[in-house]
Amino acid sequence: MAEILDETMETSEDTQKGKFLTFSVGKESYGIEIKFVTEIIGIQDITQVPELPDYVMGIINLRGKIIPVIDVRIRFKKEAKDYNDRTCIVVIDIKSASVGLIVDNVAEVINIDDSNIVPPPSMKMGFHNRYVRGIGKVGNEVKLLLDCDKLLNDDELDKIIDIA
Amino acid sequence: MKRVLITDDATFMRLSLKSMLEKCGFEIVGEAENGKVAIEKYKKLRPDIVTLDITMPVMDGLEALKGIKEFDKNAKIIMISAMGQETIVRQAIILGAIGFVIKPFNQQTITKAFSKL
Amino acid sequence: MSDDGIIREPMLEIYLFEATQLTEQLEEISIECEKNKKIDTESINEIFRIMHTIKSSSAMMSFNNISVLAHSLEDLFYFIRENGSVNINFEKLFDLVLLGIDFIKDEVFKIENDNEADGSSESLVLKSSNLLQYMKQDNVNDSKSILLEVEDNINDHISSFIDCSDSIKQKYVAKIFYEDGCEMENVRAYTVVHNLKEITTEIYHVPSDIIESNDSVDVIRANGFLIGFATTATKQEIEKRFNEIIFLRELELQQVEEYPQELKDINVKKEISPEDPIIIMNPQEVEVIKEEPLNVNKSAKQQSIISVNISKLDMLLDLVGEIVISEAMVTKNPDLVGLQLDNFKKAARQLRKLTNELQDVVMSIRMMPVSMTFHKMNRIVRDMSKKLNKEVELEIIGEETEVDKNIIDHISDPLMHLVRNSLDHGIEEKQERKAAGKCETGKITLEAKNAGGDVFIIISDDGRGLDRKKIYEKAKLQGLVTRPEDELTDKEIFSYILLPGFSTNESVTEFSGRGVGMDVVKKNIDSIGGAISIESVMGKGSSISIKIPLTLAIIDGLEVAVGVSKYTIPIMSIRESFKPKINEVIEDSDGNEMIMIRGEAYPIYRLHQIFSINTKVINSADGIMVMVEDNVKSACLFVDSLIGEQQVVVKALPKYIKKAKGIAGCTILGDGNISLIIDVTGILDR
Repeated sequence: MAEILDETMETSEDTQKGKFLTFSVGKESYGIEIKFVTEIIGIQDITQVPELPDYVMGIINLRGKIIPVIDVRIRFKKEAKDYNDRTCIVVIDIKSASVGLIVDNVAEVINIDDSNIVPPPSMKMGFHNRYVRGIGKVGNEVKLLLDCDKLLNDDELDKIIDIA
Repeated sequence: MKRVLITDDATFMRLSLKSMLEKCGFEIVGEAENGKVAIEKYKKLRPDIVTLDITMPVMDGLEALKGIKEFDKNAKIIMISAMGQETIVRQAIILGAIGFVIKPFNQQTITKAFSKL
Repeated sequence: MSDDGIIREPMLEIYLFEATQLTEQLEEISIECEKNKKIDTESINEIFRIMHTIKSSSAMMSFNNISVLAHSLEDLFYFIRENGSVNINFEKLFDLVLLGIDFIKDEVFKIENDNEADGSSESLVLKSSNLLQYMKQDNVNDSKSILLEVEDNINDHISSFIDCSDSIKQKYVAKIFYEDGCEMENVRAYTVVHNLKEITTEIYHVPSDIIESNDSVDVIRANGFLIGFATTATKQEIEKRFNEIIFLRELELQQVEEYPQELKDINVKKEISPEDPIIIMNPQEVEVIKEEPLNVNKSAKQQSIISVNISKLDMLLDLVGEIVISEAMVTKNPDLVGLQLDNFKKAARQLRKLTNELQDVVMSIRMMPVSMTFHKMNRIVRDMSKKLNKEVELEIIGEETEVDKNIIDHISDPLMHLVRNSLDHGIEEKQERKAAGKCETGKITLEAKNAGGDVFIIISDDGRGLDRKKIYEKAKLQGLVTRPEDELTDKEIFSYILLPGFSTNESVTEFSGRGVGMDVVKKNIDSIGGAISIESVMGKGSSISIKIPLTLAIIDGLEVAVGVSKYTIPIMSIRESFKPKINEVIEDSDGNEMIMIRGEAYPIYRLHQIFSINTKVINSADGIMVMVEDNVKSACLFVDSLIGEQQVVVKALPKYIKKAKGIAGCTILGDGNISLIIDVTGILDR
């Protein structure tokens, strides 16, 4: 996994458009634009912090940097699952804030052309619909492409984020 | 590359001039915040060109001009003056400054002024 | 420095930094001069220089409203400098200067917040030129004539015409055009003539008057500068000289037999050897008030100081913090447990020693004396006492006390508010003071001192003091009271005024409103880990002391365990820790737990309950009590066990995470785990 990531990290900004990191949570397969992903690590000890929303599990020490981690399952209101050795944390970097996303497992990095991306259906497909910015077609499969911004900075979130 | 010593009591002015001169291909070898320091640094660094602001604490530009010229009569000195300091500028010319630039200046002005040096 | 990490253009950054520094300097000098009702030479020169610099820099950055204002004030002080015996209305003059400073400060503030500097300085400029006019007229009869002096030693440098009666002289005519906008073309022309003299025997030029006449500038701009001269030098040499002229745009040079008519028409033939006497304004000759130089705090200029971008310092401090953590991760590594490591331990101790020293040095870099902040208060006292028609003196003690730069930024506003409060509500009016047998001039004292790991900043006044009963009544009305008045100490009652929504002021004043700011003051102080306590004696005065930790970055902490979580309690907040006996813990009628220690009751805060942590240690007898205090209250925290004392690097919780009340931040322990740092005041406020 690290090699795939390294390879994609080396390519220039331009060619990162359309490259997605895919991972699964429950039955669904999701994708995030690779440009937001800084690294992928195995699940590690999480330090709990009091009074956080249920999907924010706490904070971890990533080589000296303190990063909050979100459980994507819980965020998408799915049943919580015990972590195992396939569970990964996908560290994303948005607006100079780093956040770790706990996912069931990480699949691969794939290219999805803009032409193969359609906007999400307007009817509510489930709670996580609001975080999906498009549906990507890869062969016979469908990947739900996430809007990282919305995932982290929802209105709901803003109400409870304290301005430190 | 020609070496320049910049003298002005205001950091802002020194920095402005420095960046403009560097764009013209000059190397800034030193900065002085008043005339006394300018003379000392001149002796140490022996730059090709010196710029002197006129209004400075401790020792003003005119005195510094005298001091540097005393040490090295071939020193190439440009005065940085404000409007209304005509008399002082003339004095500077008599004392041996090779020219002057009026504040406020911009990149174009500096490029034109220093192109011959 | 903008907060979001938006990097501003470095030139703008420097401009703003310098502008701020200069206006602060100017303000200090002005207030001092105004107070003493005299301006000595050094001050005039300094004020003049500051205005001159602000004028030039602002023009370069195209902040013309600021530049024009600085220019008019510069003119004012130029006049004062040149006319030493001038009558000065100090109040009028410095009122104007201070207004000018305010304008510049406002514009700078706008720019710092990425807004347009769109203020109009027109009215101030007008005021300034009117004042200048007035001063000029007022002194027309009195002023001594400015002494004109010819500098004798100029003769050494005067170039005179060469004497070459034998060699063949050629006549040349040259026309020079200068670059647009180079300014002072007449002086440039003068330069050419002056420099030509050493290779010529005669020079004629049009325009002929390039010394006295200002019109010559326009003529040269329109028609160029025409010179006719005779020389033995070769055309090449002459061309070389001319091409060295700065700002030369166009040169026409030709050898001639005869000069053209316009040059011949000039009557004044410049063939004299000595240079025309230059009239020099020599300020030292003018009668100026010779006074002792003012004792204004100019330490910044006299020390050897470099200015460093604060973000670099932050990075340095961060890195040092990381090193401290890494060092702990190496020396306290679980891999090493149980191994015989004498040499390693020795080396580790040395490493520890060095990292400690490094830490100390870096922290000291960020330390700054509070003097700048304290001196800002001078302005406020001056302005307010004028407006309120009260006589007030500001005394500053311990201004050289140093505090982390970060902290300085956060205490400025609270201090201002507290000083304003003292002036507005504390210090009485003259008659009232007289009637009370006090000296008519009120006194406000600002004191800073070091005590252990903290810095104390104390604002005290000799005003009317706080009314304990009134405060209690008001608090009761607001429903803020939990215990009867006689059970509360003075300190506790006075601290009610720090609660939001509290006020006992009858009238809203322009300056401090309904005292609505006190809770904001507390919030500001809390945010830097400080604490406020208030003391007062009715009729005599009040004293507010702010306790601030010396640094935010690295603290001595006590590690404790609660369930699987580890917490760090700052040592400076800890009084003692002990294992409680089961019968020491009692409950009051509301179910609040308390513990009796040496006859006093302390509330108990169970961390596992507050933070909803799972732990097997519920029974009081199984855990540990840690007695903590902030400036006002004391309590006992109940934890599972003590782990040990350790120095920790305070790291902020990621912004994304909401900060729970009672958590100050976090730190990384030697084994890589994260420990949350307890904010004692936060817990005690719950």
